[in-house]
Amino acid sequence: MKAARILPVAASLLVLVALWQGAIAVFGIPPFVLPSLGAILKHAASEAGPLSAALGATLLEASSGYLLGALCGLLLAMLMVLVRPLQRCLMPLCVAVNSVPIVAYAPLCLIWFGMGPASKIVLIALAVGFTILVNALHGLQLPEEAAINLMRSFGASSIGIMRRLRLPAAMPSVVSGLRVAVPRSMIVAIVGEMLGAYKGLGRVIYESTQQVNLLNVWAAVLFASLASMLLYGLLVWIDRKLVWWR
Amino acid sequence: MSRLMPATPVARALLRSPLFAALALALAWELAVRGLAISPRYLPALSAVLRDAWSVWPQLFASFNRTLLETLLGFAAGAAFGCLAGITFSYARLMERAVFPLFVVSQTVPVVAFGALIVIWFGNSLLAKVVTAFFLTFFPVTVNTLHGLASCDPQRIALMRSFGARGPVMFFKLALPSALPQILVGLRLGIGLSLVGSIVGEWFGETLGLGVMLIEAMNSDQIVRIWVVIVACGLMGALLYSVLTLIERKIIWWRAES
Repeated sequence: MKAARILPVAASLLVLVALWQGAIAVFGIPPFVLPSLGAILKHAASEAGPLSAALGATLLEASSGYLLGALCGLLLAMLMVLVRPLQRCLMPLCVAVNSVPIVAYAPLCLIWFGMGPASKIVLIALAVGFTILVNALHGLQLPEEAAINLMRSFGASSIGIMRRLRLPAAMPSVVSGLRVAVPRSMIVAIVGEMLGAYKGLGRVIYESTQQVNLLNVWAAVLFASLASMLLYGLLVWIDRKLVWWR
Repeated sequence: MSRLMPATPVARALLRSPLFAALALALAWELAVRGLAISPRYLPALSAVLRDAWSVWPQLFASFNRTLLETLLGFAAGAAFGCLAGITFSYARLMERAVFPLFVVSQTVPVVAFGALIVIWFGNSLLAKVVTAFFLTFFPVTVNTLHGLASCDPQRIALMRSFGARGPVMFFKLALPSALPQILVGLRLGIGLSLVGSIVGEWFGETLGLGVMLIEAMNSDQIVRIWVVIVACGLMGALLYSVLTLIERKIIWWRAES
């Protein structure tokens, strides 16, 4: 079972590596266009210190923004479901804010909150918050009117209905939002850092690009990808443990 | 309730329409800024934003069109590739096992980090931005196509088969129509990401486009100009999204029954 899952992936990975190295060998691609995998790994190993420090800074921003955004998104969704008029007033605003691609807010955030981590955290919280808000609103409104009326007829308050009925019903939808938001928070963190920051992977990528140190760009991309893959895997694992009743 | 709601259905429909919501929002924006005396550093009045937009109208218009073109091309390429990949995966299990995990991994790679590399590969051209947009678009379309095709009702498949339907007929008459609503969900996710891709793609050396205007405004600290670009981006996002919704309503008339 496990082997049947892993073997094909390993095979296609091998094909990819062979294509990469083969293309370099056959077409004589210069290293500044496509460096060999060995060179990237060697460079990543020799620069591991500064790169992991930068990764640490990026991860700190990404995780604080992620937590803040997830919390705000969920709370706002619950509030909107509890207070209907609020939903009618806020929804157009949310749709309007959400129809602007998140990267367009990056310059504003940098000007308002400075070059430090605060601007990235706000930006990530905005991106994550909207994903969670949309998913949570959808999930919280899933329970049927009949079930809600039944609980109400037994004397359950709005908050009781929220806790016992709506929140459990919304869990799968919220968790899938949480999962989508993981790579997104990393990407937004790096975008924010590329526009202006003191440290972080995005900063490293930006500076290396300016100095045409492309091997360093590749190494930084490798670090960022590995980190978000690990986070994603962690979340899939938590998902399996948490939402066991599915 | 009845006293607050206008009696005629026409007026009620008007109140519910997105256009009314947009107008109300614009009015609220203008009034809030004037009433609460918000500093233009945080939120300039809508009238100021519109005046600034008018003063750079030719550049704004050209940039809007350029970014729209990049977004649409990247979206078309990503949607076509995503659909094909989804169909391939759903009919060739081995391909799904072998390649789909790589697709998932490819999405954790921050594509913006490749911006500079993409410019080296494809030159400082339209193609470079289209590729960025494409890279962000294809994944949600693939996933939703795969889900849509997998969730086809087995009873209907059995019925069609009992009438002797095979291969292509099966696909075009049953599998594709029942997967279309889900595919369109993927397309709607993809169109927003495609816009992000083309804006970010423009940051790496370009002279025209909304992404360029955004960076220029940031570097010269022109808050009002940033808001002009934000509103333009929002309008484009809303426009693309509503066109897609309209197409969805026209094409998927059979969805209403289920």
